[in-house]
Amino acid sequence: MDSKKYKVEINSAKNLVELSKLEIKYLGRNGLINELLSKIKDIPNEEKREYGQKVNELKTEIKKYIEIRKLVVGKEKSDVFFDKTMPGKAYPKGSLHIVSLAIEEITKIFEKIGFIRVSYPEVDWEYGAFESLNMPANHPARDDVETSFIDAPAHQKLGKMVLTPHTSNGQNREMKRVGKPPIRMINISKCYRPNWDATHTPMFHQFEGLCVDKDITIANLKGTLDYFAEKYFGQGTKTRLRPHHFQFTEPSFEVDISCNVCGGPSARSLDASSLRMTPTDVGVSTKKCKVCKSGWLELGGTGMVHPNVLKEGGIDSEKYSGWAFGFGIERVIMMKYRLDDIRNYYGGDIRFLEQF
Amino acid sequence: MNIKITHNWLLEYLDTKATPEEIQKYLSLCGPSVESITKSGDDYIYDIEVTSNRIDTASVIGIAREANVILNRFGINSKLKNVIIPKPTNLKKLLPLKITDDEKLCFRVVSVVMDNVITKNSPQYIKDRLEAIGIRSLNNIIDITNYVMIEYGHPTHVMDYDRIKTGKLIIRRAKKGETSVTLDGKKHNLSEQDVIADDGTGRIVDLLGIMGCENSVVTPDTKRVILFIESNNPHVIRNTSMKLGIRTVAATYDDKQVDSELTGIALNRLIQLFEELAEAKIASKLIDIYHEPKKNKSVSIEESDIGKLMGIKIPKKESVEILSNLGFKLLSDKNQTLMFQVPSYRSHDIDIKEDLIEEVARVYGYQNIPSVLQPAVYVEQPKEMEDLFIFQNKIKLFLKHLGLNEVINYSMISKNMIEDSGLKVEDHLRLSNSISEDIEYLRISLLPSLTKNMEENKGRRETLKLFEIGKIYIPVETGHAPSLPTETYRLGIAVNTDYADFKGIVEAVYRELNIVVGAGRDLPFPEIIEKLGIFTTEIDLQFLIDNCQLVPKYIPIHPYAIIKLDKTFNLTGDSRIAPTTYAEIEQKAFKSKLLQKIEVITLYQNKLTLRFYYSSPDRNITEEEAKKELEKI
Repeated sequence: MDSKKYKVEINSAKNLVELSKLEIKYLGRNGLINELLSKIKDIPNEEKREYGQKVNELKTEIKKYIEIRKLVVGKEKSDVFFDKTMPGKAYPKGSLHIVSLAIEEITKIFEKIGFIRVSYPEVDWEYGAFESLNMPANHPARDDVETSFIDAPAHQKLGKMVLTPHTSNGQNREMKRVGKPPIRMINISKCYRPNWDATHTPMFHQFEGLCVDKDITIANLKGTLDYFAEKYFGQGTKTRLRPHHFQFTEPSFEVDISCNVCGGPSARSLDASSLRMTPTDVGVSTKKCKVCKSGWLELGGTGMVHPNVLKEGGIDSEKYSGWAFGFGIERVIMMKYRLDDIRNYYGGDIRFLEQF
Repeated sequence: MNIKITHNWLLEYLDTKATPEEIQKYLSLCGPSVESITKSGDDYIYDIEVTSNRIDTASVIGIAREANVILNRFGINSKLKNVIIPKPTNLKKLLPLKITDDEKLCFRVVSVVMDNVITKNSPQYIKDRLEAIGIRSLNNIIDITNYVMIEYGHPTHVMDYDRIKTGKLIIRRAKKGETSVTLDGKKHNLSEQDVIADDGTGRIVDLLGIMGCENSVVTPDTKRVILFIESNNPHVIRNTSMKLGIRTVAATYDDKQVDSELTGIALNRLIQLFEELAEAKIASKLIDIYHEPKKNKSVSIEESDIGKLMGIKIPKKESVEILSNLGFKLLSDKNQTLMFQVPSYRSHDIDIKEDLIEEVARVYGYQNIPSVLQPAVYVEQPKEMEDLFIFQNKIKLFLKHLGLNEVINYSMISKNMIEDSGLKVEDHLRLSNSISEDIEYLRISLLPSLTKNMEENKGRRETLKLFEIGKIYIPVETGHAPSLPTETYRLGIAVNTDYADFKGIVEAVYRELNIVVGAGRDLPFPEIIEKLGIFTTEIDLQFLIDNCQLVPKYIPIHPYAIIKLDKTFNLTGDSRIAPTTYAEIEQKAFKSKLLQKIEVITLYQNKLTLRFYYSSPDRNITEEEAKKELEKI
């Protein structure tokens, strides 16, 4: 076979269509190579081996030339008009719900310091939502926790059936599940309260941290909150505790985090004029921040687990101590991303959903 | 609850040079949270959040007490002023007054009649302060009662002595069917839980702790008044006030436990101001019904417990000093156990040693406690919980990458949504106090909400592909004890494209999880519902978890030839001769042990062309062998 001929033919092919025709001509089922191979029966036996090898070498050679030529013609401008600045093929993107994203992020932050995520019922007895948390019937603290009730027969001992107004019902359940400390729990769940306005939805999400062990202190709670604030809201975020009151913790606190819009209280205490900068130069308003009160934003409630709550969970409160907190997922999303129209979260509007 | 007081008013009880900003900052860090300061004339208004356990701080004197301890701690000198409220003298028993509380419905009742009352405008400072904190100034009589309430944190009450006529107040439970008209002119139906005062003739003249009655309220012509202060049972007040929907300021105090020691002091202050500002004179004996005067309460704590919970060593001297400044009296200090007497205004709030630790810790300053992560320990996460989260995530991410949008819907749906989906309302749990019929029932399927999402998004996007992973709540019927519903996670998918697209998504999910489903398999393919161009399905998440394989079974790669054969089927032919659906073809084809896979080439009208891949893992098969297998279909 004339080696020049196929080289010339292949190298003068102008486009992929011509090349594929040549591919069929040489390598196709009825192509020249197969034709040569079929002639092997006419070759004397002692030469068959050599003949076969030569044909195979030729086949490899032709393949190689075709591949090389493919690359060459592929790079040259094809006949079809094309604009390389146009977007590429549109692959689908889809979206996860902003709450799912936050839940994942928060779970991972706590996983790293040994906290396990748990799952407990969203429909529980009053016992789980209140009594087990040191809130006996008729206690005024129950008023602060407006509750949705289920139209079902009450349990003789455990009370009425409710939609959990907070994730704290997980505390008693986790204590009983574990039986004996250590406890390192993160409970993330849907919660329900009968409020529906610009800043409340009747369903929302909370994440509840519970840590029970020997010698757990307020210092440990502070350590955990600082860790979380830095990981979730960004490096340099500070926290502070203020006194508060909750039935299920003693002492109880409210946690604030430093505002990441105005830079928090330390940035605000800078006197812009003494630094010879205008407020815009330092990126803070020396008067008022649109987002926070005096450099701090309220995150939620926390405290040291009340001895009665430990006892109710079957844990010796003389031997063990613990801390607990319950924060709103929607709240931390709002604080971090300024996504403040909470009603959109559960409205199912594709224009909202597809953004994340 | 929130309370407002003014800076100048505070300074009548507290001697300090602290600025309002300093008071706000330090009080909020260590005591009640001062939410805002507003300038009002030459005064400042503090808006303060008071927690339900600290009703003692819902007053000028309460805030003065707190500020005094806290400001000194921050190095700002301050001192409580020694304000002495004189005990009333000149007691003249000119007018009869009889009060009874035979059933001991109140902890304490104090009262006196004052004569010669002159109704006029209050002095400017009282008007200004009340208006500043949002209480309308009416006249000196009404203003004094409000002023004392805010100053001392105890509701007070004044009635017209002459309108009551009998000089008697009988405290008792209301009878079923009795009614009363409160001073705002509203009529209320009472029940046996409510506590009232009648004038001895059966006429109700006061709704205790909640609101006065129209028939006894003072008028501009009032000459003689009964000053009447009760220490009420908070449960009764709560119950009545909630039931009748009367949330007066008095009721918000009285449904917490106001210190009954304060009841007498509040009366003295009331008398003082009536004498001073209304020129009134005492005209009866002083009544003080105190069934069981409060006993001193004490709480003990081990010295070391304080630092142990705080996570920092606190010298005993410092703890004791903080507690003494807060009014706790050290009764004994033996064997490292400290015993403190609780001040009466804290007796409903301080019960256990943790309460004392909180007092020390907050005044010591939470900002002074170090920040230390607790040691990490290993706690095993239950496998079934771990799986729930891992698989939810895996599926969510997969669907997102396929181009679907995740939605989270309310767990509650409306009756209409249930009926439109062909479900039965009675299969659902119902909320007894739902705030909207849109969210009245707990869902037993994700599809009603997903269908609604699809409808509401119509026109917003041409292609809609949504999914949700969430719980459903199935009521549990039991013969005996009531039971909580079964909560299980479901995956719901809805698209508006076409059947093949939708089926492809569902198949992709199964393929991703390496679950083999379909005709002739152990596991059925989920039902696809089509309604008005919307395709939906719902799959139990636990089903996916139970049947999934993270890594599928490995099939060794073999060097033997694969024979590809195409065949076209007539799907409208005689089904007795040849199969007329893909599923039938598949089922029959896979009876061959040599068949590896089937590929759909085209469906043109009723002609389905398929490609069959035959091979064997242990030898080369011939085309004839493969053809024979294909013939069997």
